[in-house]
Amino acid sequence: MELILSTVINGLSLGGIYAMIALGYTMVYGIAKMLNFAHGDIIMVGGYVIYVFMAFHNPLLAILMAVVFCVILGVVIEKVAYKPLRGASPLAVLITAIGISYLLQSLAQIIFGSANKMVTVYDFGSVTFLGATVQVSALVTLGVTVIVMAALTLFVKYTRIGRAMIAVSEDKGAAQLMGINVDGIITVTFAIGSALAALAGLFYLLKAPSISSTLGAMPGIKAFTAAVIGGIGSIPGAMLGGLLLGIVECISYKITVIAPYTDAIEFSILIIILLVRPTGFLGKKRREKV
Amino acid sequence: MKTKSKSFDMKHYINYIVIGIFTLVFGIFSLAGGHLSNSMVFLFEKIAISIILAVSLSLVVGFLGELSLGHAGFMCVGAYLGGKVACLLEPMLGNTAANLLVGLAVGGICAAVCGVIIGIPALRLRGDYLAIVTLAFGEIVKSIFQNTSDESFGGALGLTTPRYDKKYLFIFAFVLVIITLIIVQNFIRSKHGRAVTAIRDNEIAARATGINVTKYKLIAFTLSAFFAGIAGVLYSFSNYTVQSVKFGYNYSIEILVMVVLGGMGSINGAIISAALITFLNTKLATVLTGDLAVLQNLLYAIILILIVIYNNAPKLKSFRAKYNIRNLMSKIIKPKNDPSKRKDDDAKWDVVPTKIEMNEILSIDVKPQKLGSDKKEGGDK
Amino acid sequence: MKHIRLIALAIAVIFCVGLFAGCGETNYAANNTEYVIGLSGPLTGGAAMYGSAVANAAQLAVDEINAAGGLNGIKFKLIATDDMNDATKISTNYSSMYESGMQVSLGSVTTQPGLEFKNLSADDNVFFLTPSASGDDIPTNPNGFQMCFADGNQGKVAAEFVNTNYAGQTIGVFYKSDEAYSKGIYDQFKTNLDSSINVVETTFTEANSSDFSTQIDTLKDCTFIFMPIYYTPASLFMTQAKDIIAADGVYYGCDGFDGIDNIDGFDINTIPQEITMLSHFNSKATEGPAKEFIDKYVEKYGASTLNQFGASAYDCVYAIFNAMKKAIDGGKDIPVTISASDLCEILKAEFNGGFTYQNGVTGENISWESTGYVNKGAIKYIIKEAN
Repeated sequence: MELILSTVINGLSLGGIYAMIALGYTMVYGIAKMLNFAHGDIIMVGGYVIYVFMAFHNPLLAILMAVVFCVILGVVIEKVAYKPLRGASPLAVLITAIGISYLLQSLAQIIFGSANKMVTVYDFGSVTFLGATVQVSALVTLGVTVIVMAALTLFVKYTRIGRAMIAVSEDKGAAQLMGINVDGIITVTFAIGSALAALAGLFYLLKAPSISSTLGAMPGIKAFTAAVIGGIGSIPGAMLGGLLLGIVECISYKITVIAPYTDAIEFSILIIILLVRPTGFLGKKRREKV
Repeated sequence: MKTKSKSFDMKHYINYIVIGIFTLVFGIFSLAGGHLSNSMVFLFEKIAISIILAVSLSLVVGFLGELSLGHAGFMCVGAYLGGKVACLLEPMLGNTAANLLVGLAVGGICAAVCGVIIGIPALRLRGDYLAIVTLAFGEIVKSIFQNTSDESFGGALGLTTPRYDKKYLFIFAFVLVIITLIIVQNFIRSKHGRAVTAIRDNEIAARATGINVTKYKLIAFTLSAFFAGIAGVLYSFSNYTVQSVKFGYNYSIEILVMVVLGGMGSINGAIISAALITFLNTKLATVLTGDLAVLQNLLYAIILILIVIYNNAPKLKSFRAKYNIRNLMSKIIKPKNDPSKRKDDDAKWDVVPTKIEMNEILSIDVKPQKLGSDKKEGGDK
Repeated sequence: MKHIRLIALAIAVIFCVGLFAGCGETNYAANNTEYVIGLSGPLTGGAAMYGSAVANAAQLAVDEINAAGGLNGIKFKLIATDDMNDATKISTNYSSMYESGMQVSLGSVTTQPGLEFKNLSADDNVFFLTPSASGDDIPTNPNGFQMCFADGNQGKVAAEFVNTNYAGQTIGVFYKSDEAYSKGIYDQFKTNLDSSINVVETTFTEANSSDFSTQIDTLKDCTFIFMPIYYTPASLFMTQAKDIIAADGVYYGCDGFDGIDNIDGFDINTIPQEITMLSHFNSKATEGPAKEFIDKYVEKYGASTLNQFGASAYDCVYAIFNAMKKAIDGGKDIPVTISASDLCEILKAEFNGGFTYQNGVTGENISWESTGYVNKGAIKYIIKEAN
């Protein structure tokens, strides 16, 4: 029982991180219709910014700076690398995003060196309940993810900018005709996505206080998987997909025989889900028109 | 080949001729006992492998219009299974051409079978959903081979394979490049190939005209996977070990970059960019040594971003028209496209596939042209 | 007839290149003005900290030797190429180093690319003494030698330790399933372990090498945990497990642990458990050659990449230097333009003929078996006692 409980809690908190990254993926995809492969690396940048500002021993300042820096970085990347390609083939944008990803990784290595940096943002310790010992940071992660997702859903549903986002994702041309500043909306989307990535970086550090230049690569791919499982473009879908992936990963690591195959299992689940539901759990089914 | 050109058009054969002459010159030179430096031979092997990979991926991405991020997975299957068979046969056949051929057949066919398997979900999925499925496939294959026992496929240490004599392997590799080109280009120029491009341009319309979409998608995937497998077997013969870590999504992306930079739906472009990117990567790794090594990824990334923006940004269109590398290249590589001289029914394989629209590749919906979106750009050529 | 012109151009270009290729020579070192040492390692990417440590320390040793006048006035030069821990990069990296005059080499830093390196260097008969590619198969060719302990050997020694101290008890094992180093040690450890010992094992992979909460949960009742992994994941495991694993527990690692107390931002004293390793180098050494090396390295490159990889590389350069010196003293002629193959024969004769490297950073009286494995004492270091 306690085994199941701790596995589920660990899974949910890992899933929370995936969900946080997947939210960024899914929003950018929904609005700009592009796969932002550099999204994972924003997490790494966030981690390094926290590391730098933890020199002042003030976690809140570090987190704030990480969010601010990532937002600026996200917007700058969008303006410099993606905006000139608006209207070009999406594959070209995809390749640029990959280029940005390499760029951020190598810059991080040049600036911070090859050795991992360790930084303890805040030590929450661990608690035992119902016989299971879990890190408090896992619960914090889960809590914050739920709050962020709720806030994001409300933001998209009830604010002017949020509704403009929906409009842009539905039909860019029509949105423009309605007087919506499409470029502005895309910028806001990148800003939100990058802020979420910075938070994901924070939760990574709470879980495993070590940063290296490749920190964001695999979580980025996993989050992309999560976003697709949930239905890419859907905010609750990203949450659902992330949590599912996190739990699967933790359960799989629990079982010694299949533990080495964990990645394969996660990706197999993705394929199976897509075979049953080709647009993920909550993805919109669109009728093809001629 | 169903459609026959009436006159012998050099344009269709130019890439065979260039690669053929290249192979002949260096092949004869090497066989005649001339001294080719190892670094050059190894580079040739890598370039040949990259060309086969890029050309075969181009079939799926450029001509079928589906995004595949798992090409390295097929290569992995070919490398491991072809390499394993070669290992097993080595006591009988020795490290000979016969062994290489058996390895190639086994590796290619196994990869093709995987192509069929992954082609089936491809029938149901489009755009990014397919992209992630292929990516997942690549990672699954990698993970499975990584965890095999030491006796079967070597596990984490990788499979030890016979390395083919480096004096001859690159000749083999380039002969295989030519064979790949013959098969792929003939396929594209045949009626099957045009069915494939029709599916890319508008799947519903293609279906409406009676094209068996299922069949052609599967054919394209299988053929592409087969040649990726062939490249994998070549890889296993050009290395002493095959290690599955290599075949992650990063390698798939590298192949995709070759295809995209070469220009979608252009085989010649894929060949040139595969050769150049492989050359660039190798040179950066060997020239930037010691403390400078950190710069290689940085340079690669910057070059990549600049090229893509230069080649694709709608705002740079007039600038491009003036200073276009591709135009300059096409002046050297092929004659100017003069529409007035072309007959309508004349099959031009390298002219058919030009236009790829945003929504058709990366999105699940196929919509008519939208207001306010810049549509002209996709047809830039 | 543009085509004809084009084809003529292509042919001309190819012939030019072909002619160039024809000018190759067999002794690429003929124009050397310094002895050239080659090295391939991951200088970028996920394993970069190990490659940088080796490249830094080897450069440190080369600089020292050169500052002291080199070998009879001839200086050394180090070329370090980046293989990103990818075996595919080795063929071109190796051959470009060979063609730019490499005469002797430190092999590959990591095991997986090392498997490629050992065969390529055997083809050309280039001597290598690898500081850290610890795979059992690395030194199987006559031209290859190891400065580190082979994985199998480490696994065996660790199993013997456990057999004597933990007979009949339950121990935990935590290893990285997709890494040759970790898997190699683990396999030999399992083979040599007494059947009376009950093993709880759990793994991780490169893709998931930072969040270990599930693995910690699996191992939470173990008081002895064998961790044949490198120090970065080990430090993460310990940080995450410090409240969960019993405070009097023992983490037992191999030489990969070394450097764990130098990680930037990781305070080893916050870990309540005992950390022990079986290694040839102690980065907290307070005396002897190890101490001197540590001071020099930290002064030049900082402590964040100080680990046994670097120490071992430093020893490798000096061992090669001393062996060459011994050969010259013994009447051999080693001109600066000696071909790699000739130098290899000389060095092989030395290493197989009882050459001993004394006062190394990673051990006293280091000698080599004819199989290429190193012969030196492994010391059990307690990095940190239990609180």
